Amino acid sequence: MPELDFPAIGDTVTQDTIDAYAELSGDFNPLHVDLEAALASEFGGIIAHGPIALQAFFRSATTWLDVEAMPRGSEVQVTYRHPVRPGDRIVCRVRDLRTEDGRIHLDAECVNQDDVPVLSVRASFAADA
Amino acid sequence: MSELEDSPSLSNVAFDDLVVGARLGPFREHVGAGDAGRLRGAIGEPDAVSVAPPAVYPVLFLKALRRAMGGIPSGSVLAKQELEFHGELPVDRDVEITTWVSDRYVRRDRPYVVIDFDVRAADGGASVVTGRKIIIWPTGPGERQ
Repeated sequence: MPELDFPAIGDTVTQDTIDAYAELSGDFNPLHVDLEAALASEFGGIIAHGPIALQAFFRSATTWLDVEAMPRGSEVQVTYRHPVRPGDRIVCRVRDLRTEDGRIHLDAECVNQDDVPVLSVRASFAADA
Repeated sequence: MSELEDSPSLSNVAFDDLVVGARLGPFREHVGAGDAGRLRGAIGEPDAVSVAPPAVYPVLFLKALRRAMGGIPSGSVLAKQELEFHGELPVDRDVEITTWVSDRYVRRDRPYVVIDFDVRAADGGASVVTGRKIIIWPTGPGERQ
């Protein structure tokens, strides 16, 4: 699994994406679905649910590992750094990759179309995953 | 069968009213192939799945949060999230989710709440995923909406 093979799978986040995620999760936080309330917030507009941007990492990682689900023992830690707004295109890239103690350790970040990091991920998997 | 629809969509639980350590649930949810498939590729786009893709679990966390808090805390913002994967979950199965507030604190004048989750196969089944969310709470100490 050389680092260069980590695929940069991403999508453009739209209000339809956000509305679909709200329906799937039951999270109708006004910051995501109520334009008037979101405009009055510190964000000045609609922002996406955090896990929508995380999907770029999940899709890239499962494709890279050639699995449908994360292997047993996988750990994923996410820090959300910047709001994602409708129209943003999010892709994920590896910053560091190493194998220690029989595990693959991976640091990645997902960025928007302006190359602004929207989230960072620290993940580890069994080396034989 | 999920009782999510019976929970209010939004809540205004105050930071001061959160009880650290009190376990809530288990909340039973069904992980259907249809919804799981819409969380495999581009969000909302149908796809065929036989096991739950990883994006199912943040959704289950949100469903449990809504049921535990009597709604999603209006205006809350997700700061961090952690997941540990303990096993695969075939689709069209039920899970039970237990959740609890494990910590709350103020940093740089912002109120943070740490909420833990334990997702298990229903009816005493094995642990599937554990995890936590760290949320910037919409109300700080002494504030109420």
